Amino acid sequence: MKNPRVELKTVYGEVLVELGADNPDIFVVEADLMKASGSKPFLENYPDRHINVGVAEQNLVGIAAGIAAAGGIPFACTMANFMAKRACDQVAMSVAYNMFNVKLVGCYAGLTQEKNGGTHISFMDIGVMRSMPGMTVLVPGDSEEFRQAVRAASVFQGPVYIRMPKLLQGSLPGKTYEFEIGPCYQYGNGNDLTVIATGLATDIALDSLQVLEEAGIAARVLHVPTIKPLDTESVIRCARETRACITIEDHATVGGLGGLIAETLTAACPVPLARIGMQDAFGLTADLEFQLEHFGITASHVAAEAIRLLDGRGQNE
Amino acid sequence: MSKDEQRIRTAEHWARKIRLDIIDMCCRVGPERKAHPGGALSAADIVAALYFDKMRIDPDTPQWPDRDRFILSKGHTCPVLYAALANRGYFSKDLYGTLRRVDGNLQGHPDMRKTPGVDMTTGSLGHGLAAGAGIAMSAKIDRKDFRVFVLLGDGELQEGLVWESAMASPRLGLTNLTVIIDINRLQSGGSVEQILPLHPLREKWASFGWNTIEINGHHMEEILAALDLAVLEQERPTAILARTVKGKGVKFMEDDNSWHQRTLTEEEYCLAVKMLESGGSA
Repeated sequence: MKNPRVELKTVYGEVLVELGADNPDIFVVEADLMKASGSKPFLENYPDRHINVGVAEQNLVGIAAGIAAAGGIPFACTMANFMAKRACDQVAMSVAYNMFNVKLVGCYAGLTQEKNGGTHISFMDIGVMRSMPGMTVLVPGDSEEFRQAVRAASVFQGPVYIRMPKLLQGSLPGKTYEFEIGPCYQYGNGNDLTVIATGLATDIALDSLQVLEEAGIAARVLHVPTIKPLDTESVIRCARETRACITIEDHATVGGLGGLIAETLTAACPVPLARIGMQDAFGLTADLEFQLEHFGITASHVAAEAIRLLDGRGQNE
Repeated sequence: MSKDEQRIRTAEHWARKIRLDIIDMCCRVGPERKAHPGGALSAADIVAALYFDKMRIDPDTPQWPDRDRFILSKGHTCPVLYAALANRGYFSKDLYGTLRRVDGNLQGHPDMRKTPGVDMTTGSLGHGLAAGAGIAMSAKIDRKDFRVFVLLGDGELQEGLVWESAMASPRLGLTNLTVIIDINRLQSGGSVEQILPLHPLREKWASFGWNTIEINGHHMEEILAALDLAVLEQERPTAILARTVKGKGVKFMEDDNSWHQRTLTEEEYCLAVKMLESGGSA
């Protein structure tokens, strides 16, 4: 039985309170989305260090930059869609350009916006954020990893973007590591195929291992919680050790993990590659499972693409 | 001379020096790299008042945590800031020749990573007030008594972010924040009035909850008095609306928008120096 999905706002609220207790330099800046981000416990514990700038994402990031300029460590949170698009210039010019110690948290990220629909579903945030020079981009795969990513970001010097879906698995099955910024994490050792996954898609990638095995394909999953800087060594090693790669994400493949892996492997180790994710499309007004199915972000689609890439033949056949 | 007169004369002296250095930089930069002299000259008196009278700063310790901050939100007019910083002793005037050079300390827009004394990187218009509000908020929360001054252009007020920050600052209780608007009435494409009028500007800021003061931005006594009032204000952030003339101090540049971004020839430079040294545009 799988671990149930957990609402990350509970985790964010808890971890911020812990961080606030340890470090008086931690600030929380909001654009009136505390109901989505979950930072209210921080407001209750440290009202002086919690700033709600109103519904104004550019000002959210600009003020966070100012707080960092004065030596603080602001966690600025709004929906991932608005962080990446409305505040894009402030993230680039006021935060990244100055290498400020601002932590940007994009909540309700990706398809977990569900029935808020196409206007709210962020499918560009990874692409936008990883294009910012010097930005560290974290896309955790389960709620524990999200907690650890927030903690890691708080002690990391420099700008960080953390992708925060509404929900994630409590804990990915069979985990053997503690998250740190940088490494990819490998599940399994199959030599036919590497499924490269990030965020909530890692859980789906792990589900695909069983389906692939049934199809006679020995696969491994490479989970990428640090999109930038990418652990290129692990990606290239896995590409070399297997015959094909498939990326999977709840984000546009353009600019997202799919784009990133294509860029990396094309330059270093070209292998047959399929990229699963949103393809030149806005999100839908539908629940998560419906959207995952609609965009083909499923274990069965991974299997179908694997069979196509490998001409239907696993080495074990 | 009374103490007040002395303050005024001193600030005026430095404003003249700053203007001379602006035209020096805007000539030396060469025809290949045009700087923005017009809006730098319109802000010269205000910036002189800040750096040579009002601001609590220590050029030997540019990163002093308790220093007052200045943000030139209309970043393209950076020669005025560079001239103030050099005259105040943050760096040598030898750096003037590096303006807009690839490896220069004086970038085409203020870069806090490259230039000692620059408190915030600016250039993308409209960012300065938000950053200033963040710094002022930090000071308030940490119970520090430093102040933040942000200089905005009037054309720049067309950026939406300015108004997000203008709305938030009074609500956040930022009495330590002062905005000065350099109202030179010209922007890149022509007249502010024709492109996107701003009035009633004072009423706009007042209605957002700001303490507003209107001055002649070239009258040093008025500038200093307005800054004094801003510091005394206990209830609201202050917006000083300074009426200015683009190109002020060099008669052939005044109100001529071709000087928004343009390099002075040697002849123009010599003429401008004469005009400035004779004490004005007459």
